[in-house]
Amino acid sequence: MMDRRAALRAAGLAAAGLGVLSACGRGFGGGGDDAPDGEVVLNMVWWGDNTRAQRTAAALEIFQNRNPGITVRTEYQDSAPYKDKLATRFAAGDPPDLMAMRMDSLREYADRGALLELNGLNLDGLGESARTLATVGDKTYGVPSGLNAIGFVVNRTLTDRFGVKIPDGDAWSWDDLGTFAREVTEAAGRKVYGTGFDLFTLANLFVWTRQRGEDFFTAQGTLGITAGTVQAWFALAQTMRDQGGMPPAGFMDEAGASAAQSYIASGKLASQIIPTNNFLSYNAASGGNLALLRMPGETQGVRRGQSIDTPALWSIAAQSKHPQEALRLLDFLVNDPEASKATGTTRGVPPNQQVAASIKAGLEKDDQVATDYLIGLQGETLPRSFVYPPGGSAIASALETIATEVEFTRQTAAEGAAAFITEAQKALQK
Amino acid sequence: MTTNRIRHIGLCLAGALMMYPLLWMLSSSLKPGATVFTQPGLWPASWDLTNYPDGWTALEHPFSLYLANSFVIVILSIIGNLVSCSLAAYGFARLRFTGRRLFFALMLGTMMLPGHVLLVPQYVVFAKLGWLNTYYPLLVPNFLATNAFYIFLMVQFMRALPTELDDAARIDGCGPFRTFWKIIMPLSLPAFATTAIFTFISVWNEFFGPLLYLTDSELYTVPLALRQFMDSEGQSQWGQMFAMSFVSLAPVIGFFIAGQKYLVKGIATTGLK
Amino acid sequence: MSVARYRRQDKSGYIFLLPWFIGMLFTIIPFFASLYLAFTDYNLLNPPEWVGLDNVREMLADDRLMQSLKVTVIYTVVSVPLSLAAALGVAMLLQHGIRGLPVYRAVFYLPSLLGSSVAVVILWRYLFGVDGVINKGLALVGITGPAWTTDPSHALTTLIILHIWTFGSPMVIFLAGLRQIPAAYYEAASVDGAGPWRRFISVTLPLLSPIIFFNLVQALIASLQTFTQGFVMSGGTGGPADSTLFYNLYLYLRGFTQFDMGYASAMAWVLFVLIAMLTAVNFLAARYWVFYDD
Repeated sequence: MMDRRAALRAAGLAAAGLGVLSACGRGFGGGGDDAPDGEVVLNMVWWGDNTRAQRTAAALEIFQNRNPGITVRTEYQDSAPYKDKLATRFAAGDPPDLMAMRMDSLREYADRGALLELNGLNLDGLGESARTLATVGDKTYGVPSGLNAIGFVVNRTLTDRFGVKIPDGDAWSWDDLGTFAREVTEAAGRKVYGTGFDLFTLANLFVWTRQRGEDFFTAQGTLGITAGTVQAWFALAQTMRDQGGMPPAGFMDEAGASAAQSYIASGKLASQIIPTNNFLSYNAASGGNLALLRMPGETQGVRRGQSIDTPALWSIAAQSKHPQEALRLLDFLVNDPEASKATGTTRGVPPNQQVAASIKAGLEKDDQVATDYLIGLQGETLPRSFVYPPGGSAIASALETIATEVEFTRQTAAEGAAAFITEAQKALQK
Repeated sequence: MTTNRIRHIGLCLAGALMMYPLLWMLSSSLKPGATVFTQPGLWPASWDLTNYPDGWTALEHPFSLYLANSFVIVILSIIGNLVSCSLAAYGFARLRFTGRRLFFALMLGTMMLPGHVLLVPQYVVFAKLGWLNTYYPLLVPNFLATNAFYIFLMVQFMRALPTELDDAARIDGCGPFRTFWKIIMPLSLPAFATTAIFTFISVWNEFFGPLLYLTDSELYTVPLALRQFMDSEGQSQWGQMFAMSFVSLAPVIGFFIAGQKYLVKGIATTGLK
Repeated sequence: MSVARYRRQDKSGYIFLLPWFIGMLFTIIPFFASLYLAFTDYNLLNPPEWVGLDNVREMLADDRLMQSLKVTVIYTVVSVPLSLAAALGVAMLLQHGIRGLPVYRAVFYLPSLLGSSVAVVILWRYLFGVDGVINKGLALVGITGPAWTTDPSHALTTLIILHIWTFGSPMVIFLAGLRQIPAAYYEAASVDGAGPWRRFISVTLPLLSPIIFFNLVQALIASLQTFTQGFVMSGGTGGPADSTLFYNLYLYLRGFTQFDMGYASAMAWVLFVLIAMLTAVNFLAARYWVFYDD
């Protein structure tokens, strides 16, 4: 008789051995892309976490049941390594069929003929701004996988505690934000700062630029923003920092950070700019008492600044061996209420307005808040946003460097603005 | 005696510094997911043991599958590196033949080019061979001594061994193969142990190679699986991610503890006979 | 001379190198491909176009490239000697004559085992944040800590500290090397009346020199190619304000973010030449301080 410990150990070893043995069988076959006769295998790649994966898998399940003969194989990881892998696969002539595409990469691929023109896809259910998000000239190379915008979240628990009144989120000005932020910081004795956001996040600057009547990137793909606008943006933040409403230089550390790691979640900031599709996770991480406001300055500017955006587009590779099937899958994801019922708003509000309206009732409360915000914006006349031209990522990188130098007063706002315009022009000329 | 005690105290203090990350990960894995960032202290204010069972089954496959896949790749890579690199190292360190210096320089040269510019051509080569979505791109190069680091390491160890050993063996009528097998290899045990430990760690942690070449989630390794738990856009399961990160560290630490006794089994302990 | 008699030409060397020869095929094709790309304009999606030395010319006028060289050289010059010294020192301590050695060895190797998984990255942010653990500790003794990772004047220092902290790999190699030194040498030195320091200078250092040399060459090559540390800490940007823009990180940004693989390849080959020259100098200098028994 074996005693119990020995038996347990033996069982453990046997289990481990079996696991390893069965692993030996995997990974040594021929390439895994062989499909049974007549069967089409679509490769679909995107970024996200396993919660999004489960929701996506549920939608694909429906699609595959309705389309026998089509199998969809997905790959996903977090967003950090996504673009390297995608670029390598394209370069090696082995692109996926359907893929999530970053807004700032779209033209890098589309301009070089790597993406399928989607003009055959039915996009009638989409609003004007959503439909044209990925339109270059008169051709469409991507469909939003979901819609979002940026918004201001304010932690009501903190404002209540410090007795600071939240301004009217539909009509507040940048000055109101400054006053609000200063009041919070003062009332909190600098333990909490009123607001904080990255100056180099393009989406934030886009709003500011449009409110001043300019486009950051123009329809022709040139630089529309002027040095004066950049300087005013830097100066706005400098004033708020001087007054204490914004934390000192170096405080913000949001690179790649998620809702749970954010300062609004840890209670060190009373307000922050977020992408609206993340409202649920921010609210959950911050104790569930966030208010979602529009961006400041929307009623005082030359024109509206907010726009409808997307966290990611869906695109199809021009080299896809099964473009018809890939288009059918994309049509399902965009236009079929069943698909969006399964995925929810994991990628933002469904771009198809009827679909969005039809799934709203089934959403969690916080997702409904974000969806209402988007539906509200879509009903208004907003300036169109134009696709990032190639070179856009070099511009983003220059803005990050210069904004940081201005933040640490290594350059003045005026010097930084002039340097940025020079760098950006250089990046676009290439 | 007192110097020894001082040494112990010093080592313990420094050791605490070294241990901190591990303890922090362990503690984070025992907290309810939402409190990882709000209560980041070392001692959990509230305990949540469910991160382990939940994390184990959170992904498409049970975590044991990813562990098993990683084990297979790691074990085979260790065998490949030990065999192929030690052969090449012996050739470089102890034998004289035309072109030796040139080949040695070439070998070192392969370490000097940034890997990012090789990704695309390598992918093309492996695609042409039909090796995508298999373990071959991760394994075959290890059997072909493509890791210059380990060759160079073993060369330095073998060159440090007294040459009288080879000469004596030669006089006894040993050819180079017998000399390698009977004399050099046993005496290079620390170098072999180092190679095995380093291979274990680097292959176990390798992320980008498996990311590029494996597409079926059934073939995924531990680092790939760990990066499916979270994304900055989602409301991710942090506690589960920490739990599985901690689980995935255990084999590496275990392997080091088991392997380190061979690190210190050199000539000094086996003696020169 | 008597030894040289036995050192005849040994054709069996080629047999020992056979796996390596085959392996070189895998290595050499991508090598030549990237060398070709260095002379082209290649955006990864369209076929490369030959542009001769245009990429090199652009490099000479590229401010960010110069910044990345500066970052890389400072990092290397500071962190390589410090981490090797720490590794050798701790390896000497952990060699023998103390109880619980295996545990200590494992503990000191721990930081090097962690890799750069997501969990570890989160830990760094938590430690080095403006109100992270380190600054809270400093505050206890009345020091206001800096913004370790977000202030351009401190971010590189933080990375250097982290690098020195992971001295485990060279330490393991030193540990193994120390055991290769025959105990008889130490005994002989002791008989001659040499104290611990004398024994270290006249026995340990010369006999360990091949291993010290290995660690030095290796650390220099690896340090000049540093990528992951900068990528992880800055979220892939090299920030704040390019203060952690390592050469390889800039190369990566050009190749994969800005779709400029021709330029990236040219950068890679320039670095290759620099490292090769440095390594050659190292090997030449080694004749004067590295002692082999052959």
